[in-house]
Amino acid sequence: MSDSRQPVPPAPGRSWPEADGVHIDVRGLEPPGPLVAILRLIDAAGTGTVIVHHDRDPQLLYPELAERGWAAERVPAPDGEVRLKLRRP
Amino acid sequence: MTATGGVFPAGAATRLLPASIPFRYFGAAVVFHVAAWAAVLAGAADAPGFVGGLGWSVAALHLVALGVLAMTAIGAGLQLLPVASRQPVRAVRIAAAIWWIYTPAVAAVACGMGIGSPKVLAAGAVATVAALAAFAVLFARNLVGARGMPVVIAHGWGALVSLLVVLATAAALVGTYVGVPALDRATALAMHVAFAAYGFMGLLAFGLSYILVPMFALADTPGRRPAMASLGLAVTALVLAGLAAFGVATSVLRIAAVAAGAGAVAIHLWLMQATLAAGMRKDLGLSFVLVRIGWVLLATSLVAGLAVALDVPVDGAATLFGVLLVPGWLLTFLLGILQRIVPFLASLHAGAGAAPGKRRPPTPSALTAGRPLTVHFTCHLAALTLLVAAVLAQSPGLAAAAGVAGAAGAVAFAAAFAIAVRRMAGA
Repeated sequence: MSDSRQPVPPAPGRSWPEADGVHIDVRGLEPPGPLVAILRLIDAAGTGTVIVHHDRDPQLLYPELAERGWAAERVPAPDGEVRLKLRRP
Repeated sequence: MTATGGVFPAGAATRLLPASIPFRYFGAAVVFHVAAWAAVLAGAADAPGFVGGLGWSVAALHLVALGVLAMTAIGAGLQLLPVASRQPVRAVRIAAAIWWIYTPAVAAVACGMGIGSPKVLAAGAVATVAALAAFAVLFARNLVGARGMPVVIAHGWGALVSLLVVLATAAALVGTYVGVPALDRATALAMHVAFAAYGFMGLLAFGLSYILVPMFALADTPGRRPAMASLGLAVTALVLAGLAAFGVATSVLRIAAVAAGAGAVAIHLWLMQATLAAGMRKDLGLSFVLVRIGWVLLATSLVAGLAVALDVPVDGAATLFGVLLVPGWLLTFLLGILQRIVPFLASLHAGAGAAPGKRRPPTPSALTAGRPLTVHFTCHLAALTLLVAAVLAQSPGLAAAAGVAGAAGAVAFAAAFAIAVRRMAGA
Protein backbone atom coordinates (compact mmCIF):
# COMPACT_ATOMS: atom_id res chain seq x y z
CA MET A 1 0.00 0.00 0.00
CA SER A 2 1.44 3.35 -1.03
CA ASP A 3 1.72 6.24 1.37
CA SER A 4 -0.72 8.90 0.09
CA ARG A 5 0.25 11.47 2.69
CA GLN A 6 1.63 14.70 1.24
CA PRO A 7 4.32 16.70 3.01
CA VAL A 8 2.71 19.45 5.06
CA PRO A 9 3.75 22.85 3.66
CA PRO A 10 5.23 25.19 6.25
CA ALA A 11 2.97 27.91 7.57
CA PRO A 12 3.53 31.32 5.95
CA GLY A 13 6.17 33.24 7.85
CA ARG A 14 7.50 30.14 9.69
CA SER A 15 11.27 29.92 10.19
CA TRP A 16 13.48 26.99 11.10
CA PRO A 17 17.22 26.33 11.45
CA GLU A 18 19.15 24.14 9.03
CA ALA A 19 22.82 23.51 8.43
CA ASP A 20 23.10 26.23 5.78
CA GLY A 21 21.33 28.91 7.82
CA VAL A 22 17.95 29.92 9.16
CA HIS A 23 15.19 29.27 6.63
CA ILE A 24 12.01 31.32 6.39
CA ASP A 25 9.01 30.55 4.19
CA VAL A 26 7.02 33.63 3.25
CA ARG A 27 5.01 32.11 0.41
CA GLY A 28 1.35 33.02 0.61
CA LEU A 29 1.88 36.23 2.54
CA GLU A 30 0.55 39.44 1.00
CA PRO A 31 2.79 42.48 0.61
CA PRO A 32 4.37 43.78 2.71
CA GLY A 33 4.09 40.66 4.92
CA PRO A 34 7.14 38.89 3.42
CA LEU A 35 9.25 42.03 3.77
CA VAL A 36 8.28 42.47 7.41
CA ALA A 37 8.75 38.79 8.29
CA ILE A 38 12.21 38.63 6.70
CA LEU A 39 13.45 41.87 8.25
CA ARG A 40 12.04 40.86 11.63
CA LEU A 41 14.09 37.65 11.40
CA ILE A 42 17.24 39.46 10.30
CA ASP A 43 16.94 42.13 12.97
CA ALA A 44 16.10 39.71 15.76
CA ALA A 45 18.22 36.69 15.01
CA GLY A 46 21.58 38.27 14.37
CA THR A 47 22.16 35.20 12.26
CA GLY A 48 24.82 34.90 9.60
CA THR A 49 22.77 33.47 6.76
CA VAL A 50 19.04 33.43 6.00
CA ILE A 51 17.45 31.32 3.28
CA VAL A 52 14.17 32.80 2.02
CA HIS A 53 11.51 30.68 0.32
CA HIS A 54 9.37 33.07 -1.70
CA ASP A 55 6.77 32.87 -4.44
CA ARG A 56 8.05 35.97 -6.24
CA ASP A 57 11.07 38.18 -6.59
CA PRO A 58 10.82 40.43 -3.50
CA GLN A 59 11.83 43.71 -5.10
CA LEU A 60 10.75 45.89 -2.19
CA LEU A 61 13.13 43.95 0.08
CA TYR A 62 16.39 44.93 -1.61
CA PRO A 63 16.62 48.60 -0.55
CA GLU A 64 15.88 47.54 3.04
CA LEU A 65 18.62 44.88 2.85
CA ALA A 66 21.03 47.45 1.45
CA GLU A 67 20.18 49.76 4.35
CA ARG A 68 21.18 46.98 6.77
CA GLY A 69 24.35 46.02 4.91
CA TRP A 70 22.98 42.66 3.78
CA ALA A 71 23.27 41.11 0.31
CA ALA A 72 20.99 38.71 -1.58
CA GLU A 73 21.84 35.83 -3.87
CA ARG A 74 19.40 33.84 -5.98
CA VAL A 75 19.87 30.11 -5.41
CA PRO A 76 18.33 27.12 -7.25
CA ALA A 77 14.74 26.33 -6.28
CA PRO A 78 11.86 24.14 -7.47
CA ASP A 79 9.53 25.52 -10.14
CA GLY A 80 7.23 28.23 -8.79
CA GLU A 81 9.58 29.17 -5.97
CA VAL A 82 12.11 31.97 -5.71
CA ARG A 83 14.81 31.11 -3.19
CA LEU A 84 17.23 33.69 -1.87
CA LYS A 85 20.30 33.42 0.27
CA LEU A 86 20.72 36.51 2.42
CA ARG A 87 23.96 37.23 4.19
CA ARG A 88 26.00 40.05 5.57
CA PRO A 89 29.12 40.24 3.31
CA MET B 1 23.74 29.15 -8.54
CA THR B 2 22.49 32.25 -10.33
CA ALA B 3 23.75 34.75 -7.87
CA THR B 4 25.19 38.10 -8.81
CA GLY B 5 26.90 38.59 -5.52
CA GLY B 6 25.35 42.04 -5.17
CA VAL B 7 22.62 43.42 -2.96
CA PHE B 8 20.08 42.94 -5.73
CA PRO B 9 19.97 39.50 -7.32
CA ALA B 10 19.55 38.84 -11.02
CA GLY B 11 15.94 39.27 -12.10
CA ALA B 12 15.19 42.03 -9.64
CA ALA B 13 14.22 44.30 -12.50
CA THR B 14 11.57 42.06 -14.03
CA ARG B 15 8.64 44.02 -12.63
CA LEU B 16 10.32 47.40 -12.65
CA LEU B 17 9.52 50.03 -15.23
CA PRO B 18 12.57 51.77 -16.62
CA ALA B 19 13.55 54.40 -14.05
CA SER B 20 12.85 57.14 -16.56
CA ILE B 21 9.10 56.36 -16.50
CA PRO B 22 8.17 56.87 -12.82
CA PHE B 23 10.83 59.54 -12.37
CA ARG B 24 9.59 61.64 -15.28
CA TYR B 25 6.16 61.73 -13.59
CA PHE B 26 7.70 62.58 -10.21
CA GLY B 27 9.91 65.23 -11.85
CA ALA B 28 6.95 66.88 -13.54
CA ALA B 29 5.05 66.81 -10.23
CA VAL B 30 7.96 68.54 -8.51
CA VAL B 31 7.99 71.31 -11.15
CA PHE B 32 4.19 71.76 -11.07
CA HIS B 33 4.46 71.98 -7.27
CA VAL B 34 6.58 75.11 -7.63
CA ALA B 35 4.21 76.47 -10.28
CA ALA B 36 1.19 75.87 -8.04
CA TRP B 37 2.53 78.07 -5.25
CA ALA B 38 3.60 80.69 -7.80
CA ALA B 39 0.01 80.68 -9.03
CA VAL B 40 -1.21 81.22 -5.45
CA LEU B 41 1.02 84.29 -5.36
CA ALA B 42 -0.26 85.47 -8.75
CA GLY B 43 -3.87 85.04 -7.62
CA ALA B 44 -3.38 86.36 -4.08
CA ALA B 45 -5.81 89.22 -4.59
CA ASP B 46 -8.72 86.79 -5.17
CA ALA B 47 -7.51 83.73 -3.24
CA PRO B 48 -9.01 84.50 0.20
CA GLY B 49 -12.55 84.65 -1.21
CA PHE B 50 -12.14 82.18 -4.07
CA VAL B 51 -15.26 80.12 -4.76
CA GLY B 52 -14.84 79.37 -8.47
CA GLY B 53 -14.42 80.94 -11.88
CA LEU B 54 -11.33 81.40 -14.03
CA GLY B 55 -8.18 83.00 -12.63
CA TRP B 56 -4.88 82.10 -10.99
CA SER B 57 -6.54 80.67 -7.86
CA VAL B 58 -8.36 77.96 -9.80
CA ALA B 59 -5.17 77.46 -11.81
CA ALA B 60 -3.24 76.90 -8.55
CA LEU B 61 -5.88 74.39 -7.43
CA HIS B 62 -5.55 72.41 -10.66
CA LEU B 63 -1.76 72.64 -10.71
CA VAL B 64 -1.87 70.84 -7.37
CA ALA B 65 -4.67 68.41 -8.31
CA LEU B 66 -3.58 67.51 -11.84
CA GLY B 67 0.05 68.55 -11.83
CA VAL B 68 1.17 67.20 -8.47
CA LEU B 69 -1.40 64.76 -7.09
CA ALA B 70 -2.60 62.98 -10.25
CA MET B 71 0.87 63.17 -11.84
CA THR B 72 2.43 61.43 -8.83
CA ALA B 73 -0.45 58.97 -8.63
CA ILE B 74 0.13 57.92 -12.24
CA GLY B 75 3.88 57.46 -11.75
CA ALA B 76 3.53 55.63 -8.45
CA GLY B 77 0.51 53.59 -9.57
CA LEU B 78 2.16 52.39 -12.78
CA GLN B 79 5.26 51.30 -10.85
CA LEU B 80 4.02 50.06 -7.49
CA LEU B 81 0.92 48.13 -8.51
CA PRO B 82 2.73 45.60 -10.76
CA VAL B 83 5.47 45.16 -8.14
CA ALA B 84 3.00 44.54 -5.34
CA SER B 85 0.49 42.49 -7.34
CA ARG B 86 3.01 40.12 -8.98
CA GLN B 87 2.55 41.26 -12.55
CA PRO B 88 5.08 41.82 -15.30
CA VAL B 89 5.58 45.36 -16.52
CA ARG B 90 3.66 46.00 -19.71
CA ALA B 91 2.77 48.91 -21.97
CA VAL B 92 5.99 50.78 -21.22
CA ARG B 93 5.68 52.90 -24.34
CA ILE B 94 2.10 53.84 -23.54
CA ALA B 95 3.13 54.78 -20.00
CA ALA B 96 5.80 57.06 -21.49
CA ALA B 97 3.46 58.45 -24.14
CA ILE B 98 0.84 59.39 -21.55
CA TRP B 99 3.42 61.66 -19.89
CA TRP B 100 4.14 63.45 -23.18
CA ILE B 101 0.44 64.19 -23.62
CA TYR B 102 -0.48 64.80 -20.01
CA THR B 103 2.33 67.17 -18.99
CA PRO B 104 1.77 69.89 -21.62
CA ALA B 105 -1.99 69.36 -21.26
CA VAL B 106 -1.86 70.20 -17.56
CA ALA B 107 0.26 73.26 -18.33
CA ALA B 108 -2.33 74.35 -20.91
CA VAL B 109 -5.22 73.84 -18.48
CA ALA B 110 -3.44 75.91 -15.84
CA CYS B 111 -2.52 78.67 -18.30
CA GLY B 112 -6.03 78.72 -19.76
CA MET B 113 -7.51 79.07 -16.29
CA GLY B 114 -4.91 81.61 -15.17
CA ILE B 115 -5.16 83.97 -18.14
CA GLY B 116 -8.89 83.36 -18.52
CA SER B 117 -8.77 81.83 -21.99
CA PRO B 118 -11.55 79.26 -22.54
CA LYS B 119 -9.95 78.12 -25.82
CA VAL B 120 -6.59 77.30 -24.23
CA LEU B 121 -8.42 75.72 -21.30
CA ALA B 122 -10.58 73.59 -23.59
CA ALA B 123 -7.60 72.42 -25.65
CA GLY B 124 -5.71 71.48 -22.50
CA ALA B 125 -8.78 69.81 -21.01
CA VAL B 126 -9.34 67.60 -24.08
CA ALA B 127 -5.74 66.40 -23.96
CA THR B 128 -5.88 65.95 -20.18
CA VAL B 129 -9.04 63.85 -20.39
CA ALA B 130 -7.49 61.75 -23.17
CA ALA B 131 -4.31 61.13 -21.18
CA LEU B 132 -6.16 60.28 -17.97
CA ALA B 133 -8.51 57.98 -19.90
CA ALA B 134 -5.47 56.15 -21.28
CA PHE B 135 -4.07 55.88 -17.76
CA ALA B 136 -7.45 54.56 -16.60
CA VAL B 137 -7.18 51.74 -19.16
CA LEU B 138 -3.66 50.81 -17.99
CA PHE B 139 -4.76 51.03 -14.38
CA ALA B 140 -7.80 48.81 -15.05
CA ARG B 141 -5.56 46.21 -16.74
CA ASN B 142 -3.34 46.17 -13.67
CA LEU B 143 -6.35 45.76 -11.39
CA VAL B 144 -7.83 42.94 -13.50
CA GLY B 145 -4.52 41.06 -13.54
CA ALA B 146 -3.66 41.59 -9.87
CA ARG B 147 -3.30 38.61 -7.56
CA GLY B 148 -4.10 38.97 -3.87
CA MET B 149 -4.37 42.27 -2.01
CA PRO B 150 -8.19 42.50 -2.18
CA VAL B 151 -8.25 45.64 -0.04
CA VAL B 152 -5.86 47.56 -2.28
CA ILE B 153 -7.55 46.30 -5.43
CA ALA B 154 -11.03 47.23 -4.16
CA HIS B 155 -9.83 50.74 -3.35
CA GLY B 156 -8.26 50.86 -6.81
CA TRP B 157 -11.58 50.07 -8.47
CA GLY B 158 -13.27 52.75 -6.37
CA ALA B 159 -10.62 55.26 -7.43
CA LEU B 160 -10.98 54.23 -11.07
CA VAL B 161 -14.76 54.69 -11.12
CA SER B 162 -14.30 58.03 -9.37
CA LEU B 163 -11.77 59.06 -12.02
CA LEU B 164 -14.35 58.40 -14.73
CA VAL B 165 -16.86 60.61 -12.89
CA VAL B 166 -14.18 63.29 -12.53
CA LEU B 167 -13.38 63.21 -16.25
CA ALA B 168 -17.07 63.39 -17.23
CA THR B 169 -17.79 66.30 -14.89
CA ALA B 170 -14.57 68.07 -15.94
CA ALA B 171 -15.69 67.87 -19.56
CA ALA B 172 -19.11 69.24 -18.54
CA LEU B 173 -17.53 72.14 -16.62
CA VAL B 174 -15.22 73.10 -19.48
CA GLY B 175 -18.26 72.82 -21.77
CA THR B 176 -19.97 75.61 -19.85
CA TYR B 177 -17.01 77.93 -20.62
CA VAL B 178 -17.04 77.22 -24.37
CA GLY B 179 -20.81 77.32 -24.78
CA VAL B 180 -21.49 73.57 -24.78
CA PRO B 181 -23.27 72.94 -21.47
CA ALA B 182 -23.88 69.23 -20.91
CA LEU B 183 -24.76 69.30 -17.21
CA ASP B 184 -25.90 71.94 -14.76
CA ARG B 185 -22.73 73.72 -13.61
CA ALA B 186 -23.51 73.50 -9.87
CA THR B 187 -24.23 69.78 -10.16
CA ALA B 188 -21.08 69.12 -12.18
CA LEU B 189 -18.95 71.19 -9.80
CA ALA B 190 -20.25 69.48 -6.65
CA MET B 191 -19.62 66.02 -8.12
CA HIS B 192 -16.24 67.06 -9.54
CA VAL B 193 -14.94 68.25 -6.15
CA ALA B 194 -16.21 65.23 -4.19
CA PHE B 195 -15.14 62.55 -6.67
CA ALA B 196 -11.76 64.13 -7.45
CA ALA B 197 -10.60 64.77 -3.89
CA TYR B 198 -12.30 62.08 -1.83
CA GLY B 199 -12.96 59.62 -4.68
CA PHE B 200 -10.06 59.36 -7.11
CA MET B 201 -7.24 60.76 -4.98
CA GLY B 202 -8.72 59.85 -1.62
CA LEU B 203 -9.42 56.19 -2.34
CA LEU B 204 -6.06 55.84 -4.07
CA ALA B 205 -4.36 57.34 -1.01
CA PHE B 206 -6.30 55.07 1.35
CA GLY B 207 -5.66 51.93 -0.74
CA LEU B 208 -1.94 52.48 -1.33
CA SER B 209 -1.55 53.37 2.36
CA TYR B 210 -2.47 49.79 3.22
CA ILE B 211 0.78 48.73 1.50
CA LEU B 212 3.03 51.75 1.89
CA VAL B 213 2.50 52.59 5.56
CA PRO B 214 3.18 49.02 6.80
CA MET B 215 6.09 48.83 4.36
CA PHE B 216 7.74 51.98 5.69
CA ALA B 217 6.86 51.28 9.33
CA LEU B 218 7.75 47.57 8.94
CA ALA B 219 4.46 46.39 10.36
CA ASP B 220 1.90 43.74 9.53
CA THR B 221 -0.87 44.64 7.08
CA PRO B 222 -3.99 46.11 8.75
CA GLY B 223 -7.02 43.86 9.16
CA ARG B 224 -9.00 43.22 5.99
CA ARG B 225 -12.49 43.55 7.47
CA PRO B 226 -12.13 47.02 9.02
CA ALA B 227 -10.31 48.25 5.91
CA MET B 228 -13.18 47.04 3.72
CA ALA B 229 -15.69 48.59 6.13
CA SER B 230 -13.86 51.90 5.74
CA LEU B 231 -14.04 51.54 1.97
CA GLY B 232 -17.75 50.70 2.12
CA LEU B 233 -18.45 53.83 4.14
CA ALA B 234 -16.32 55.95 1.81
CA VAL B 235 -18.17 54.69 -1.25
CA THR B 236 -21.49 55.28 0.52
CA ALA B 237 -20.39 58.86 1.25
CA LEU B 238 -19.50 59.42 -2.40
CA VAL B 239 -22.82 58.04 -3.64
CA LEU B 240 -24.73 60.24 -1.17
CA ALA B 241 -22.70 63.30 -2.17
CA GLY B 242 -23.36 62.48 -5.82
CA LEU B 243 -27.11 62.23 -5.25
CA ALA B 244 -27.06 65.50 -3.29
CA ALA B 245 -25.38 67.18 -6.25
CA PHE B 246 -28.50 66.48 -8.32
CA GLY B 247 -30.61 68.47 -5.86
CA VAL B 248 -32.38 65.55 -4.19
CA ALA B 249 -32.77 66.34 -0.46
CA THR B 250 -29.48 68.17 -0.74
CA SER B 251 -28.86 69.14 2.90
CA VAL B 252 -29.90 65.80 4.37
CA LEU B 253 -27.86 63.80 1.87
CA ARG B 254 -24.81 66.01 2.29
CA ILE B 255 -24.94 65.63 6.08
CA ALA B 256 -25.35 61.87 5.68
CA ALA B 257 -22.41 61.88 3.24
CA VAL B 258 -20.21 63.70 5.75
CA ALA B 259 -21.27 61.27 8.48
CA ALA B 260 -20.44 58.24 6.33
CA GLY B 261 -17.17 59.86 5.28
CA ALA B 262 -16.29 60.54 8.91
CA GLY B 263 -16.84 56.86 9.69
CA ALA B 264 -14.59 55.84 6.81
CA VAL B 265 -11.86 58.24 7.89
CA ALA B 266 -12.10 57.21 11.56
CA ILE B 267 -11.62 53.53 10.74
CA HIS B 268 -8.80 54.25 8.29
CA LEU B 269 -6.92 56.49 10.71
CA TRP B 270 -7.38 53.98 13.52
CA LEU B 271 -5.86 51.28 11.30
CA MET B 272 -2.99 53.55 10.28
CA GLN B 273 -2.29 54.55 13.87
CA ALA B 274 -2.30 50.91 15.00
CA THR B 275 0.06 50.04 12.12
CA LEU B 276 2.51 52.78 13.06
CA ALA B 277 2.34 51.83 16.74
CA ALA B 278 3.09 48.17 15.98
CA GLY B 279 5.82 48.86 13.41
CA MET B 280 9.45 47.89 13.96
CA ARG B 281 10.60 51.26 12.62
CA LYS B 282 9.53 53.94 15.06
CA ASP B 283 11.48 56.89 13.70
CA LEU B 284 9.96 57.72 10.34
CA GLY B 285 11.32 61.25 10.27
CA LEU B 286 9.75 64.44 9.00
CA SER B 287 8.06 62.59 6.15
CA PHE B 288 5.63 60.93 8.50
CA VAL B 289 5.11 64.11 10.48
CA LEU B 290 3.75 65.47 7.19
CA VAL B 291 1.67 62.32 6.72
CA ARG B 292 0.19 62.66 10.22
CA ILE B 293 -0.55 66.36 9.67
CA GLY B 294 -2.23 65.40 6.41
CA TRP B 295 -4.45 62.94 8.27
CA VAL B 296 -5.44 65.60 10.81
CA LEU B 297 -6.32 67.97 7.98
CA LEU B 298 -8.36 65.22 6.30
CA ALA B 299 -10.53 64.95 9.41
CA THR B 300 -10.68 68.74 9.65
CA SER B 301 -11.80 68.99 6.03
CA LEU B 302 -14.86 66.91 6.90
CA VAL B 303 -15.75 69.36 9.68
CA ALA B 304 -15.42 72.22 7.20
CA GLY B 305 -17.44 70.20 4.69
CA LEU B 306 -20.18 69.78 7.26
CA ALA B 307 -20.18 73.54 7.86
CA VAL B 308 -20.63 74.07 4.11
CA ALA B 309 -23.40 71.44 3.98
CA LEU B 310 -25.21 73.16 6.85
CA ASP B 311 -24.74 76.61 5.27
CA VAL B 312 -23.08 77.86 8.44
CA PRO B 313 -22.75 81.65 8.00
CA VAL B 314 -18.95 81.88 8.15
CA ASP B 315 -17.10 84.03 5.62
CA GLY B 316 -14.89 81.89 3.42
CA ALA B 317 -16.22 78.54 4.70
CA ALA B 318 -16.21 77.00 1.21
CA THR B 319 -12.73 78.35 0.48
CA LEU B 320 -11.45 77.07 3.81
CA PHE B 321 -12.92 73.65 2.99
CA GLY B 322 -10.97 73.63 -0.27
CA VAL B 323 -7.72 74.70 1.41
CA LEU B 324 -7.98 72.03 4.09
CA LEU B 325 -8.89 69.39 1.51
CA VAL B 326 -6.42 69.90 -1.35
CA PRO B 327 -3.19 71.58 -0.18
CA GLY B 328 -4.00 70.63 3.41
CA TRP B 329 -4.75 66.93 3.36
CA LEU B 330 -3.87 65.63 -0.10
CA LEU B 331 -0.76 67.67 -0.88
CA THR B 332 0.73 67.37 2.63
CA PHE B 333 0.10 63.63 2.76
CA LEU B 334 1.46 63.07 -0.73
CA LEU B 335 4.64 65.09 -0.16
CA GLY B 336 5.31 63.07 2.97
CA ILE B 337 4.92 59.78 1.11
CA LEU B 338 6.75 60.98 -2.02
CA GLN B 339 9.87 61.93 -0.10
CA ARG B 340 10.12 58.31 1.07
CA ILE B 341 9.15 56.69 -2.26
CA VAL B 342 11.70 58.61 -4.35
CA PRO B 343 14.88 57.45 -2.53
CA PHE B 344 13.41 53.96 -2.12
CA LEU B 345 12.71 53.55 -5.84
CA ALA B 346 15.98 55.27 -6.73
CA SER B 347 17.87 52.74 -4.61
CA LEU B 348 15.92 49.90 -6.19
CA HIS B 349 16.71 51.11 -9.71
CA ALA B 350 20.35 51.83 -8.94
CA GLY B 351 20.74 48.34 -7.48
CA ALA B 352 18.84 46.53 -10.22
CA GLY B 353 21.01 48.15 -12.85
CA ALA B 354 24.30 47.48 -11.12
CA ALA B 355 26.62 45.01 -12.79
CA PRO B 356 27.87 42.01 -10.80
CA GLY B 357 30.96 42.74 -8.82
CA LYS B 358 30.53 46.49 -8.93
CA ARG B 359 30.41 48.58 -5.80
CA ARG B 360 27.29 48.49 -3.66
CA PRO B 361 24.34 50.62 -4.81
CA PRO B 362 23.36 53.61 -2.69
CA THR B 363 20.93 52.97 0.17
CA PRO B 364 17.65 54.93 0.42
CA SER B 365 19.06 56.99 3.28
CA ALA B 366 22.14 57.85 1.21
CA LEU B 367 19.78 59.16 -1.49
CA THR B 368 17.77 61.32 0.91
CA ALA B 369 18.78 64.98 1.07
CA GLY B 370 17.87 65.90 4.64
CA ARG B 371 18.53 69.63 4.66
CA PRO B 372 16.33 70.61 1.68
CA LEU B 373 13.55 68.43 3.06
CA THR B 374 13.78 70.19 6.42
CA VAL B 375 13.50 73.54 4.63
CA HIS B 376 10.53 72.24 2.68
CA PHE B 377 8.85 70.97 5.85
CA THR B 378 9.10 74.37 7.53
CA CYS B 379 8.03 76.35 4.47
CA HIS B 380 5.13 74.03 3.65
CA LEU B 381 3.63 74.26 7.11
CA ALA B 382 4.15 78.04 7.12
CA ALA B 383 2.42 78.29 3.73
CA LEU B 384 -0.56 76.25 4.88
CA THR B 385 -0.89 78.28 8.07
CA LEU B 386 -0.70 81.54 6.11
CA LEU B 387 -3.24 80.31 3.59
CA VAL B 388 -5.75 79.39 6.30
CA ALA B 389 -5.11 82.73 8.00
CA ALA B 390 -5.60 84.53 4.67
CA VAL B 391 -9.03 82.94 4.23
CA LEU B 392 -10.11 83.61 7.81
CA ALA B 393 -8.88 87.23 7.72
CA GLN B 394 -9.82 87.71 4.04
CA SER B 395 -6.28 89.03 3.55
CA PRO B 396 -4.63 89.09 0.10
CA GLY B 397 -1.33 89.99 1.79
CA LEU B 398 -1.35 86.79 3.82
CA ALA B 399 -2.27 84.81 0.69
CA ALA B 400 0.71 86.34 -1.11
CA ALA B 401 2.96 85.42 1.81
CA ALA B 402 1.60 81.87 1.63
CA GLY B 403 2.51 81.77 -2.06
CA VAL B 404 6.07 82.91 -1.34
CA ALA B 405 6.57 80.45 1.53
CA GLY B 406 5.02 77.61 -0.45
CA ALA B 407 7.15 78.33 -3.51
CA ALA B 408 10.31 78.43 -1.38
CA GLY B 409 9.39 75.07 0.12
CA ALA B 410 8.60 73.64 -3.30
CA VAL B 411 12.00 74.74 -4.62
CA ALA B 412 13.64 73.02 -1.64
CA PHE B 413 11.63 69.87 -2.36
CA ALA B 414 12.73 70.05 -6.01
CA ALA B 415 16.34 70.30 -4.85
CA ALA B 416 15.93 67.16 -2.73
CA PHE B 417 14.44 65.36 -5.74
CA ALA B 418 17.24 66.50 -8.04
CA ILE B 419 19.86 65.32 -5.53
CA ALA B 420 18.24 61.88 -5.30
CA VAL B 421 18.11 61.52 -9.09
CA ARG B 422 21.71 62.71 -9.49
CA ARG B 423 22.93 60.25 -6.88
CA MET B 424 20.91 57.45 -8.50
CA ALA B 425 22.35 58.25 -11.92
CA GLY B 426 25.87 58.35 -10.52
CA ALA B 427 25.57 55.01 -8.72
